[in-house]
Amino acid sequence: MTTSVAASAYVFGIVSAGASLPEVDETGLAEGLRLVEADGLAAVVGTPPADRSVGRAADLIAHDRVLAALVDAGTAVLPMRFGAVLRDDAAVVDELLTARGDALRAGLDRVTGRVQFTLAVRYEQDVVLPELLAARPDIARLRNSSTTDSLDGRIRLGELVVQALDQARPADAQRVLDELRHAVDVRLNKTTTPEEVLNAAILVDDGQAVAFERATEKLAERHHPRLRMRLVGPSAPYDFVGTG
Amino acid sequence: MEGLQRHRYLSRPRPSGLADVLEVILDKGIVVDAYARVSLLGIEVLTIDARVAIASIDTYLRFAEATNRLDLYEHGGKDLGEMTESLAKGGASGKTSGVIDGAKEKVGELLHGSDDDDDDDSSGNGRSRRSRSSSDRSSNGGSNGNGRPRSRARQSSTRRRSQEDDNDE
Repeated sequence: MTTSVAASAYVFGIVSAGASLPEVDETGLAEGLRLVEADGLAAVVGTPPADRSVGRAADLIAHDRVLAALVDAGTAVLPMRFGAVLRDDAAVVDELLTARGDALRAGLDRVTGRVQFTLAVRYEQDVVLPELLAARPDIARLRNSSTTDSLDGRIRLGELVVQALDQARPADAQRVLDELRHAVDVRLNKTTTPEEVLNAAILVDDGQAVAFERATEKLAERHHPRLRMRLVGPSAPYDFVGTG
Repeated sequence: MEGLQRHRYLSRPRPSGLADVLEVILDKGIVVDAYARVSLLGIEVLTIDARVAIASIDTYLRFAEATNRLDLYEHGGKDLGEMTESLAKGGASGKTSGVIDGAKEKVGELLHGSDDDDDDDSSGNGRSRRSRSSSDRSSNGGSNGNGRPRSRARQSSTRRRSQEDDNDE
């Protein structure tokens, strides 16, 4: 847990040997960007700063930039989890490429020619809350009562609203999932706040990316204004690297 | 990679802000057993900070506030919102779009307050949450002043997330 380890290989992701390095600004984590190859695989490696640990926002963005540049260039890549630092290039070969070769090759095959999109769906409060009050007279009554003059009363009101959203969420999420088109694979991420309906990673064939985006716009239109949808990507297949 | 598509309903941040990057890539990807632990300490903290699930008092208060705020637009704001929407749907001409944008902003302020959107992640301070029993500040609870201002408690996460909202629409 100290800086006594002089780590010199930050691994962004795994590509096939012979792949082209992306053209990115070689600063920070991406300094000295290179391929470390073994057994038909290659790790995309940079030299992390020696004078500080890795974990700043800028590092996270750099991690994403390198992987995004690979995706933009059409290079299949298995992303490493942010923060993968190994001792040196030899350790990258021994502990990663050689030790995990079969799993990495299988993983690469699975994502080749595909990109990930991430769809986040949220409730539009101004639509959903009135809807909820209409359906739940008990909550509406509580809201209009003097109970909510006290902090405890407001906490109770909020708690009931959150519980009602929890009940509504599964059906709303399922409806959106059922209407997804052009998805090769879907992984659900955990949602963390009550207004989040769904957070899904979606694997799409390169050739279908445009059609997927168009279909998702239609999907968003159908659920407007009740649900708000946000689509990020195409990105590296962060959610489709196998069991790890 | 492909030409940008225009969207009316789907929010498409380009380029992705830090909030999106966090959401998409944190905790994802291949893990190496033999990580040099040197780099992980900071990341674990960041992870907890950003992704912890919350069902906290703060969340309840936020929703109570949002629910109470509905009054505001039941008395006028809503009509404005609907008008804005139908105009936008009908394809507002250049001449009126400025007015509509202005109206939209007003509605947005009314509905969301000025501090931030309905955005979430009050997780940042999850562990230092005030206990429910300390309701002695109930008279001004939640809004601001000397107590524990809701918006201030969430400031760090709001700052992170605000980028996301800036990219909206």
